[in-house]
Order: sequence, then structure tokens, then C-alpha cells
Amino acid sequence: MELKINGKTHSVEVEPGMPLLWVIRDELNMTGTKYGCGVSACGSCTVMIDGVATRTCTFPASAAEGKEIKTIEGIAAAGQLSAVQKAWIQHQVPQCGYCQSGMIMAAESLLDQNPNPTDEDINKSMTNICRCGTYQRIRAAIHTAAKMRAEQSGLQG
Amino acid sequence: MAEKANKNNKKKGKWTRRAFMLTGGVIGGGLLVGIGGNMYVNKKIKEYTGTGFGDGSSLNAWIRIAADNTITLAVPRSEMGQGVYTSVPMLIAEELEVDMKSVKVIHPQAESPYANTQLVAGSPRDVHSGFNIMEKVASFLPVVATGGSTTITDGFDNLRIVGATAREALIQAAADKWNVGTDDCYAESAFVHNKKTKEKISYGALAEAASAIEIKGIPTLKKQKDFKILGKPVQRLDIPEKVTGAAQFGLDARPDNMLFAAIKHASYHDGKINSISNQTDIEKMAGVKKVILLPEGIGAVVVADNTWRAKNAALALDFEEEGNDTLSSEEIAKLQEETIANNIIATPLDKGNVDEVFENSDQVIEAKYNVPYLAHACMEPINCTVLVDNDKAEAWVGHQGTSLVVNAINQATGVKKANIKTNITYLGGGFGRRAEIDMVLNAAHVANEMKGTPIQLVYTREEAMRHEMYRPAVASNFKAVVNKDGTIEAWENKMALQSVFYSSIMRIMPAMAEPPEKDPTSIEGAANLPYDIKNNRVAFGQLDLPIQVGNWRSVGSSQNAFFTESFIDECAQAADQDPYEFRKNKIQTKPRFLAVLNKVAEMSNWKTPLPEGKYRGIALHESFGSIVAQVAEISTQGENEFKIDNVYCVIDCGRIVNPDTIEAQMQSGIVFGLSAALYGEITFANGEVEQYNFPQYDMVRMNVAPVVKVHIMEVDEYPGGVGEPGTPPIAPALTNAIFAATGKRVRSLPLMKHGYKFV
Repeated sequence: MELKINGKTHSVEVEPGMPLLWVIRDELNMTGTKYGCGVSACGSCTVMIDGVATRTCTFPASAAEGKEIKTIEGIAAAGQLSAVQKAWIQHQVPQCGYCQSGMIMAAESLLDQNPNPTDEDINKSMTNICRCGTYQRIRAAIHTAAKMRAEQSGLQG
Repeated sequence: MAEKANKNNKKKGKWTRRAFMLTGGVIGGGLLVGIGGNMYVNKKIKEYTGTGFGDGSSLNAWIRIAADNTITLAVPRSEMGQGVYTSVPMLIAEELEVDMKSVKVIHPQAESPYANTQLVAGSPRDVHSGFNIMEKVASFLPVVATGGSTTITDGFDNLRIVGATAREALIQAAADKWNVGTDDCYAESAFVHNKKTKEKISYGALAEAASAIEIKGIPTLKKQKDFKILGKPVQRLDIPEKVTGAAQFGLDARPDNMLFAAIKHASYHDGKINSISNQTDIEKMAGVKKVILLPEGIGAVVVADNTWRAKNAALALDFEEEGNDTLSSEEIAKLQEETIANNIIATPLDKGNVDEVFENSDQVIEAKYNVPYLAHACMEPINCTVLVDNDKAEAWVGHQGTSLVVNAINQATGVKKANIKTNITYLGGGFGRRAEIDMVLNAAHVANEMKGTPIQLVYTREEAMRHEMYRPAVASNFKAVVNKDGTIEAWENKMALQSVFYSSIMRIMPAMAEPPEKDPTSIEGAANLPYDIKNNRVAFGQLDLPIQVGNWRSVGSSQNAFFTESFIDECAQAADQDPYEFRKNKIQTKPRFLAVLNKVAEMSNWKTPLPEGKYRGIALHESFGSIVAQVAEISTQGENEFKIDNVYCVIDCGRIVNPDTIEAQMQSGIVFGLSAALYGEITFANGEVEQYNFPQYDMVRMNVAPVVKVHIMEVDEYPGGVGEPGTPPIAPALTNAIFAATGKRVRSLPLMKHGYKFV
């Protein structure tokens, strides 16, 4: 099957039911997307499929055919970190860092759909697990990223 | 049941293979403090044989400087989120006089200069000074490992000496070149400057000459007021690559031709697989290369061409197996009661005469507490990648003990230690679990059966959760007599548990094992209370069960803080005193404790009553050389339903290295402790663990995580740890708040079990 990831088309030969996570990690060796639970409970494996944050450890690769897949490796445009990534550094969010790819993808998706989320919005959409407990800093970083994005689009507009 | 358990445990003595670990929760009397100078610096400059340590000249085992002034520092501690890839360089860079921005970090091989003497000899916790187990270990072998919140306590002086010695050598090299005295030179931002001529030479240009210079004695270290880096919030060096997906964890290793493997453990704890009933069928599954039964039948591994195929095939394995298939949590609870009643094996603290007070009082208060087994549940499932080729081996693994990895591969394969290379990656969480060596032994065994092919062994979330080294279930029974004026006349705490220390040392190095009655981890945080207690007895009994227990973030303090800080609240209640005032009155001679407690009361406006529907609880606990007090503030949302609004947290960890990391570790430790307090429970039925994955073993998420406000005390004392001390006080601070809200005392965890909900 053919998968379009971060703008590039990859041809893979796998069972249609194989979860997208394992195709990305083991067949294509893009290891930024993480395995955490395998049952869509923790969100470590979150990528964007046609702009929607999706947990890929239970998402069949075949269902992603013909769609735009974006992983953590694909969000820094032309070597420029995204607003979310910059805010993550500014707030010194990651500790062990393992869940952060999934957290960042979930945050990107949230901000795409809701440019100025409230704390309650963040609670509802950010349901990934961080075992290091970086939630407080993630929340602050999302608010900062929202401001950065608004400033960027203001400059462009 | 007890007999069966005993029989199972005896077998363990022979289990040299399923060996051991070494991390948090060790003890002692500061045996090796001050060894710094020579061991760390002079001799090791010449002896260093490390590989893969950047370009340029080594000034000692920690520092290499290239001609272009690139500075590479070896950080022989494991980065598991606690910030050591930044705090260790900070200590060196401060004295070396280089900017943090010019520093690169590598994780070196397991070599003796990097030994963590504090971890082995023990943190400065004087209550346990009667024990000598770890001192024995320390004298035996240099352990390069990370745990027990010891990186800073071990390195605070030694690593600054490392930096200062290199700086002095660089200054000497420049002075020789200019033919002036060293007094005419000074170092700044990786250059040596000539005071008179205003010339300067880069470290890169001096490194080769400096590497041949031996500095005798220990150079004078900077005074705190002159620090440029230490004590200031420094951006972590590991964070940029942790936001792009570039950071390499163990599971991200992709050596050429690697195959993927998944394990299925024997169903029963300490059980044995006699044979695989469907091996031929499994071998025919798509992508499967090999099925291997592990030594002693502890599990079986399927090797395949991707993780998905390997884990599906492993899941389909059928075993003919034996083991304890009756073990249950109910039986364990019963055994705990029996143990406390009839089988106390150690009384490490027995001050005064508690029995006499109890006999003569009609005001004895009693309470029984307990906590369940807990899984570590690191975000990155347990894994290890090993290649065995001819007489060499190489490992890629996020592990807390570099030297333990080498030992385990040697043990499993027979490859000489000198021929084993380690690539210590970032750890996707450690918390004590990644100080165990089971994953290394198992991966190495499979790699040895498939020489020439790197094998990446993963434990699926389910395997990782159902077969690990748990925080033990513990029962703690209290009796106390509190006078009307609030004096604690007598206090008795009898506990029953499995010894973490004994269980883990039997896995890592059984030859060094001492009996469970010598276990310091059982009583840490229970026998060293700061409070004035006239007659005080702390005793414990040991449960002999076929369950492996291990070090879990904050170890003994993880349960003992909950027990003691809840029962102290009960004592305050018995004396009809405010919980803060009650504690305060008992630490008048302990200024550091008093300052921390007063500060948290001030931060949380303890003396100002909260509006209706809001409640608070307080807790104070010392662990790993640091003192932490917390106030949890909750609000009622509905019937037995609460929101944890704020947690105020004050820490005295002595001198401050990176304040931003200390704040992060307090926030982290609190959420970690809350997950356990709210949801954490591993239970047994029919010999098997009943929880499989996060849906049965849930975690605090964004919506429940409180706002944590941290204050760091400025105290000019030797530093304590920060990775663990944030965890212990949160459970009692929260349950004390629930008592304030409901009048009901929570005496067992998790809260979920009692019908409490958190939103």
C-alpha cells in the first residue's frame, strides 16, 4: 500500500490490518511516534491524519491510504520549529520526553481547530498520559503557542 | 498458602539468572563522602580508556575539548526526565569556566571513575546508621548507576572538582606558553586570558598540552556568590531534541539488520513454563523467525520482522506451565495481619517504653493502614536491544545502571565485560524499574541464540504491567497515646511487607544479600520522623511471597509518608489541635523542618479559613536528604467528588543546582504520587495480576492534574535529592484534606476503591 507521510509517499508491503504506528516505526523507521499502550489509552502514538489527531496503535494502516499523514518529524516547516514546539521549549515542558511527540501532535491539532482554547477546552482535548506529570507546563505552553500563532497569522495577514 | 509461598521463595536462591538491581532507597553513614579529589581527578586522567567520547583531548574522564573549542562532557548518569544531562554539566561547567551553550553531552561506557559512590554507600540518612549492607557493596565494586536521587548528592563536590582541576591544567598550559605565572592568568568562557598582555588562548588550542599536566591536590572551589551557572534556572540540554521526535529512546534503536522480539512471561509469579504447546504453529506465522524458551522457563520470546508480528505471535503462545495458581490479594492481606500479630522480625527503633505507656493509659488510639502493590508503568514499555557477534556484544538500552547492563550481558552470554559496548539512550521513564536487569538478561539470551543479528526485545504494555518488580503491598498498624496538651507520649508502628531491598539484591547479586530484617527500605520514612515522640517503637515483619518487589519512586517513603502523616493527623485530632500547629509544636528543635512547614502554611494561607466547599490537608516528610511539605487544597464537586485545585509545595534540598529542574521534579513527583493515591492498585487473583493496561491501571491526566506552586528554600547546606522527595507527602496531604471535607479518615489506597471521584 502507499502512504503519504509528511508530504512524501512511501510504498510498504504489510497486512492491511497492521496498525499505522508499526508501519511508521518498524517499516519506515520513523521513530519519533511512540508506542505506549497499544489500546489507544495513552496517546503516545498520536499523529495527524487529514489534520485530525489520531491514535495510531489501533488505526489500521490501510485506513490511512490516500490521506495526509503528519508525524512529529513533519511539523517543523523548513527547519523552523512550530509555535507549539517553541512554546514547549520556552516552558521547559518535557522531562523523560517519551509522551511528548503525542502531546505535541494533540496540541497542534487542538490549536488548528480551536485557536484560543480555554483551560476547559484543553482538559477535554488533551487526554494523553504523561507519566512524568508535565501537565501544568503543557497547559501553559498551549496558551503561549496560541498567542504565538495569533501573532504569526497577524503578521502574515 | 504460606508454605507454598515459602517453597517458591527458596527456589530464588538458585536463581542467579533472574538477578538483581541497585537503585533508590539505600542508606548509611556517608562512608565515601570526600573521596573526591584523587579518585575523581588525578589518577583517572591517565587511566581513562573510554570510547566514543567526542574529538579532541581528554582533560580527564569527564572532559574532552576539541581544537575548535567544542566541549564534550561525559555524563555517566541516566537521563530519565530528572534533568541530569543538564545538572551534571552545570556542576562541571561552573568550575571549568565554560558556557552551557557550548557544551555537548555523551553517555560514557561503564568505567570505574563514574561510580556512584553515594548510591552505593548511601544517602546521608542517619537513622539507618546501624546497617552496613551497602558499605559492604561499595567496597566490592564500582557501580555506575542512577537512582536514589543521588546524582547531585554524589556529584556536587566531586564534579566541581573535576571541572576545577581541568581549568587549572588549562591555565597552567597557557602560563607555560606565555612563560608567566598562573597568577597572571584567568579562565573565562572557554579561554585563558593573560592579565597583563590581555592576550587570550582558546581551551581548544590548549587542550593537548593541558592533558599532559597533572594537577596535584584539590583546587579551591568557587564561593557560592561567584557562581555564574549553579543556582540559576538553566534551559535543559535534552529538551530541543525532545520536541522534534529526534531524541533516541531504547525502543528507537535501529541497528542494521535488527529483528524485533516480544516476550510472553510465565503466567504465575515465580512460575515456570515446562514447554510451549504450539511452537510449530507459532513458527509458521507470518514474519516469525524463531521461538525461544527462556532459561528456567520464566518466559518465551518470539523473534519476527516487526514488532506487530512479534507481539501477536507471542500473545498466541500456549504454555504447559506450573506455579502458584492460588495467590490472591485477599490472602496477602490476611498474611499481613498474621505477620504483624505473630512474626515481627525487626525493631529498628525502640525508644523508651511504649508498652508501659499503653498499659497505663485508657486513651490509646489505634489505626490500621494499608497500601497495595504498584506498577512503575513507565511510558516507554520495557525493552532492550542486544547484538552478540563472535566474542563481542553491544547493547542499546535506556537503563539506570550502565554497569549493571554490562554485568547482565556478561552473565547471559559469557562475553567478556571488556568486549561489551553500551549505548545508553534516553529513558522513557525509569522510577526504579529501569534499574532492574531482567530485560537485559532476556534480550541478551535471545541475541546469543541468534548471533550476528541485533535483537530488540519489547515487553508489551500488558507484559510490562503484569510481570514486574512492584512497590510492595504494605500494612501498617499504629497505636499512640496523645496527652491533652498534644504531647505524643507513645507511638508504635508495626508493619508487614515484602522487603524491597532483599528482593532486589537477590535479583542483582545474591551473594551480597543480607536477610530482610536488615532491610533499610522497609522503615525509611517511618523510623526517622522529625517529631518529638517520647516513647517510640517501629517494627516490621516480612512476607514471604512469590512476587518480585522493587524500588518504586521514593521507595519506603512512598508508603510510609502516607501512613505516618495520616496518623499524625489522627493524633492532632485526638488532641483537638490544628494539624499544622500540632506538627509545628513537635519540631521546635529542627529549624529546617520548621522553616519548611511554616513556609507552606504561609503560602497556602493556612491560618485563613477557606470558603465553603473548599478544604485543605497538610503533610511534611523527609526523604533522600531533602525536606518537603505540601498542602493540598480541594473543592467539593458532588457526592464524594472533588477537584484538587492547588498543591502548595515547599522543598529544602540544601544548595540549589537548577531551580527550574527542582520545580519540575516537585510537579512531577506530585502527579506521580497522585496517580497512585487516586487509582494505583495491582491486585492478584488465582496467581495472576488482574490489571493489564492503562484502562485498568489509570493515571492522572490533564483534567485532574492540580496547579502546583513550588517554593525552594535557600539553605546553605549540602544538597539533597529532588527526583523522589516530591512524591511521598502528596497522598497524606490529599487524604488529610478529604478528612477535613468529609470527617472520614482514609486509611487505605487507592481512593477510587472508596468511591471517591476526582474531576
